[in-house]
Amino acid sequence: MIQVGVVALATLISVAVTATLVARPVVAQGVPRAADPKRGAVIAAQGTAAVPACAQCHAFSGASDSSGAFPRLTGQPASYLAEQMRDFASSRRDSAVMSPIAKGLSANDLDDVAAYFATTSGPFPLLAGADAIIVKKGEKIAREGDAAKGLQGCNNCHGPDGAGFPPRIPYLAGQYAEYIKLSLTMWKAGYRKNSPNVMKQIADRLDDQDIAAVAAFYQQIRNDTNAAQ
Amino acid sequence: MAERLKPVDVVTVGVGLTGAIMAKELAAAGLKVVGLERGPRRDTSPDFQSPTIHDELRFAVRKALMQDNVKETLTFRNSSDQTALPLRRWQGFLPGTGTGGAAVHWNGQTYRFQPVDFVYKTHIEKRYGKNFVDPEITIQDWGVTYDELERHYDRFEYLCGTSGKAGNINGKIQPGGNPFEGQRSREYPTPPMKETQYGALFRNGAEKLGYKAYPQPASTLSQPYTNPEGLTLQQCVFCGFCERFACEHYAKASPQTVILPAALKNPNYELRSNCQVLRVNLDSTGKKATGVTYVDGAGREFEQPAELVLITAFALNNVRLLLNSGIGKPYDPRSGIGTVGRNYAYQTVSSVTVFYDQDTRINPFMASGSSGTVIDEFSGDNFDHTKLGFIGGAYVGAIMTNGRPIEFHPTPPGTPTWGLEWKKAVARHYNHTVVLTVHGMSHPTRTNYLDLDPTYKDAWGMPLLRLTFDFPENDLRMSKYVTDKTVEIGQAMGGKTVVGAPRKGPYTSTIYQTTHNTGGAVMGSDPTTSAVNKYLQSWDVPNVFVVGASAFQHNGTYNPTDTVGALTYWAVEAIKSQYLKSPGPLVRT
Repeated sequence: MIQVGVVALATLISVAVTATLVARPVVAQGVPRAADPKRGAVIAAQGTAAVPACAQCHAFSGASDSSGAFPRLTGQPASYLAEQMRDFASSRRDSAVMSPIAKGLSANDLDDVAAYFATTSGPFPLLAGADAIIVKKGEKIAREGDAAKGLQGCNNCHGPDGAGFPPRIPYLAGQYAEYIKLSLTMWKAGYRKNSPNVMKQIADRLDDQDIAAVAAFYQQIRNDTNAAQ
Repeated sequence: MAERLKPVDVVTVGVGLTGAIMAKELAAAGLKVVGLERGPRRDTSPDFQSPTIHDELRFAVRKALMQDNVKETLTFRNSSDQTALPLRRWQGFLPGTGTGGAAVHWNGQTYRFQPVDFVYKTHIEKRYGKNFVDPEITIQDWGVTYDELERHYDRFEYLCGTSGKAGNINGKIQPGGNPFEGQRSREYPTPPMKETQYGALFRNGAEKLGYKAYPQPASTLSQPYTNPEGLTLQQCVFCGFCERFACEHYAKASPQTVILPAALKNPNYELRSNCQVLRVNLDSTGKKATGVTYVDGAGREFEQPAELVLITAFALNNVRLLLNSGIGKPYDPRSGIGTVGRNYAYQTVSSVTVFYDQDTRINPFMASGSSGTVIDEFSGDNFDHTKLGFIGGAYVGAIMTNGRPIEFHPTPPGTPTWGLEWKKAVARHYNHTVVLTVHGMSHPTRTNYLDLDPTYKDAWGMPLLRLTFDFPENDLRMSKYVTDKTVEIGQAMGGKTVVGAPRKGPYTSTIYQTTHNTGGAVMGSDPTTSAVNKYLQSWDVPNVFVVGASAFQHNGTYNPTDTVGALTYWAVEAIKSQYLKSPGPLVRT
């Protein structure tokens, strides 16, 4: 399972081997099936007999909206997206909306949809009315962490200013602030469980102001609103 | 003219691993402690954060975290008939500087020495007879036993949160651990790190040959852990930037993550950075230290009086400070008389490279400095040497600490060293190669030693340390034997091409091998052949303790840090429970 993403991007420096990695790697390695983004696009647009179209909530481009209920998927690493879908399917990541959808898709469907959204692009809207002081505070946490809290900077794993660290780490730069806030709050409250030793530990050390600041910073940092053009 | 400062109870020369532990313990005991660190103050946040810290050129190639050898270095030669020259660039080994010392840029490999290491001479003579060992080898017993150190090892490992699998708990062999290890009182504080792809391949090959593979004990943590000091470490993310780098993740045990914040909380402790200690000052009898003299970052000279002076720098610098302070009798290799500088040892490291076909993918970049799988069948005296003509051994394992782009480019023999064919070979083999480590003992000899260089001085006008070292023939024979055995494992791992590179002499300081420099202020029970007693207390100046790998009588099979940590807790306990009640020699002769 892990090998799929890793092999596809073997020359990139991978930053994370988290709890999903099996305790002892398989010594024999097979050749993975190549995912089909075109087939994934069809599922995203139309859904399947069992599940609704992804585009209903995430938009066909994956850009979603800024409500915070739906993450932006545009251009996220395929391996990360597929892993989250598998976690939804197994309820390692539990969601009343996403878990039934993920269960309704076959393994190949998941890979294809993930591969499709990885190829999409779209504008990154800046956060309306962002407070410069809050953004600055978020920047400090993102880049340096917080010595008093024993907190590492987010960029260590999420890449320079949250650019992402494929194959397994999603970008945060340009992700909707409301969604980042929601996610960190879910980690902290224990609703999101699929990174107990990393994200949960980090979220526990962030207070509400920290969370708001980090979220604002990351939506603000990706200043390429014309990316789609 | 040095400004005389207010006296304190304790001064530590160096604020690395040993200095931080000592300071924490003694400040908690109510003593006023000053830590003098020659390098800068630095911390995980903000100094070690990524992407800055993941700069291979700056840290691995240009060695930004290391001792500034423009100001202070050492001179090196292979033998006494040569003229030693200064090491103007760190290549062979990497002494650190700054708060946390070398325990910031270490890999986190956390092995205990074997019980027989501490009674090595007695053990070898008993098993093989008095005339078995090459006459040049000067091994001795340490004056302390494994059993005495066990709970201090335990304490240090629980401080670090070390991830591993015990092989022997109170005499009961544990499946999955190292069955050869000395008995430990309990399991490691955290479970082993996840096995890597190269580790799994090694395990497969080793088990085919009947060896017992086990996970390397790692102080880069498998899961979050809060230590007895109340400090929390995080889970390692296998970023591949441990050795030569600092950990951005609070995942590697270092003074910054496991002890220093606890020490700094105590108002009894004061840390002064950018303070270069020139010498320990002695009174007119030469038998009592009165404090130290240091120069701060602005070039001002100070005298810091102290009741107790703890020399807690890197092993080499501990020895240098003793020599520059006139503490103890310098060792003379011609007569074999003298103690300070005696029994310098290194580590005899070699490698075996296993090249696979294109279908086997290794992903060497998914690594920590101490993730790996190892075997102990050829360590120390775990195998019968009767017919082999050498003593000592090596552990063997797949411990690929990284796959960083500048320095990791394995190519098979016959590949040109530059140009298009070399580039093609690197691209072909980068992700399909496992490098096995053969990490061997180093035995002291009469002619390997440390003294002061007669010519070269540092930026403050103090003589540099001079290192005279070459590999003993015994150790080269050992390296050949274990490397050959490792080639067999490489073949059993299914490698297409397996290349063994046993260590060969002469030692060169221009190729990195390891930073495990040991000895020079060795511990023992005889003041004529050791610089410090079993509690690391100077025989000559009892209010000076010399703490670190400088106390090792020889360098064991394993990475030294766990033993350094155990000796530190052992010594500080003796200071607290015995010395403070009745200052004076803890061992009478």
